Amino acid sequence: MPSVPLKADHLVAEAPLVSVANVQKTYFTRQSPIHAVASASVDVARGEFVSLLGPSGCGKSTLLMMIAGLEKPTAGVITLAGAAVAAPRRDIGVIFQDATLLPWKSTLENVLFPIRILKLPLDKYRDRAHELLKMVGLAGFENKKPGELSGGMRQRVAICRALIHDPEILLMDEPFSALDAITRDQMNVALSEILEAYRKTVIFVTHSIREAAFLSDRVVVMGGRPSTIILDKKMPFARPRRFEIEETQEFAQVCRELRLTIEAAHGQRQGHGQGHGQGHGLGGARADGRQQPVKASAAGASIIE
Amino acid sequence: MAKATISTETGVALPASGAGRFQGAVGPSSIVLPLGLAFLVLAVWQLYVVIWRVPAVILPSPISITEYIVAHYDILLMHAVPTTVESAAGFLLAVVLGIAIAIVITYSDMAREALYPNLVFFQLIPKIALAPLFIIWLGVGSQSRVAFSVFIAFFPVVIATTAGFLSVDRGILRLCRALTATEWQIFTSVRFPMALPHIFSGMKIAITLAIIGVIIGEFITAQAGLGYLIIFATARADTEVSMAAIVVLCICGLLLYGLVALAEAVANKFYSADSR
Repeated sequence: MPSVPLKADHLVAEAPLVSVANVQKTYFTRQSPIHAVASASVDVARGEFVSLLGPSGCGKSTLLMMIAGLEKPTAGVITLAGAAVAAPRRDIGVIFQDATLLPWKSTLENVLFPIRILKLPLDKYRDRAHELLKMVGLAGFENKKPGELSGGMRQRVAICRALIHDPEILLMDEPFSALDAITRDQMNVALSEILEAYRKTVIFVTHSIREAAFLSDRVVVMGGRPSTIILDKKMPFARPRRFEIEETQEFAQVCRELRLTIEAAHGQRQGHGQGHGQGHGLGGARADGRQQPVKASAAGASIIE
Repeated sequence: MAKATISTETGVALPASGAGRFQGAVGPSSIVLPLGLAFLVLAVWQLYVVIWRVPAVILPSPISITEYIVAHYDILLMHAVPTTVESAAGFLLAVVLGIAIAIVITYSDMAREALYPNLVFFQLIPKIALAPLFIIWLGVGSQSRVAFSVFIAFFPVVIATTAGFLSVDRGILRLCRALTATEWQIFTSVRFPMALPHIFSGMKIAITLAIIGVIIGEFITAQAGLGYLIIFATARADTEVSMAAIVVLCICGLLLYGLVALAEAVANKFYSADSR
């Protein structure tokens, strides 16, 4: 009995901003239904940075798109600040793998694009746009067009655009996976700096273990077939984080654990595979065992002939 | 940061100079060469007519055609006005109609499936054969010529505009939906500006077709216009007048095409991916 009020207290203290409960997503195709997400439950607290980590095709992007309201779950409920998500919402900023900037608009106008769409007063947000661009190191590039920027710069513009209307939640769908490794590392540092200045609740989809470990407060690993959440782990590193933490033993150990978890999830398949392999191995051994006498007899036969 | 700046700046400088080399439209030879060739052809034409004493009924010389244009520019201008005005009207209506059909095709799958095969089938009809019917349906006034001009010119606008509307980056559409943009907002701020290069290429074809439509209409029935003048003069074996009318027609066509190109240049100022 005493556990009930305790649980309620716990809930009040940590009412999650984003709550994903038993969410399932199935695509019905002509051949057979595809289970993109078999079952997922995650809570994200206000101000938390949570990564959804997993190999390609594990449904992590699908889950993110459902949180963004761009896809509807087949079953289960997603709530944002207590309200069920049925459609896209204004208090979310989304960043995709591609920067998706309007090619004819300048950097500044691209950053202000959500303000136009949301019909907010442009004049009020112009200073904020300049401030954001300065923060990501793009001061002086306000009048350049996307074609004149590098991939990393474009993605930084996209980050500014996602932050311009000051959304509560930032959803990032493999935002740096199209960038080269060096730029990607720079972007990770830049993103953690941005988030130190503008604290947001972030859900970040990635298939990079290092990236997830470096950026996140919590890493949620998705995998298996059909896909579920197989690990939900707090990252033990202090903030602010700089690149040096990637060289620590602790970091390497966390990455190793994440990697092993992903491999183990495949391992259910790989395990089957290994089981089969072992079976084959045993069979092979047996066959070998039998083969030798066969060979011998064949040799014997040839000798006889 | 500094490194990134330098690399992008050189990255910009390179394609810019490269584009200049490829376009070749700025160098003096790009003006001298075509003009020189045209002058050469005219000179050969003139010499041929003079040396072989070709009768003016068969082929008037460039100089005599020019002389006629200078002497009778008022008559030519009088005929040029209705042709130009009707062509412009036919063109504008064709663009409006073409874009409207493209919008319907883009937004309604049912309309697309119903309309598109019929539109293509329509294109297979030799449309010039239908020109006399327009006179029967709409009378001998300019409305029949404008209608025929629209009829002949709207199709490339439909095709080009539809292609433009459908070529929009899916990522940008998804971004708009994530921002709770309305269909109208997506159309005005993304689809339409993105389709503009396509629309203008359709318009450039449409303007030439619109002029052809009006001239055919004037061939069949008209009391004025350059098409009428050409038919009238040819029937009287007045080849010089007929040639002069054709020259003026070329000038009118260039003028209308130039206006479309000018509109494109203005649109490019706002919707080009280049800074300048």
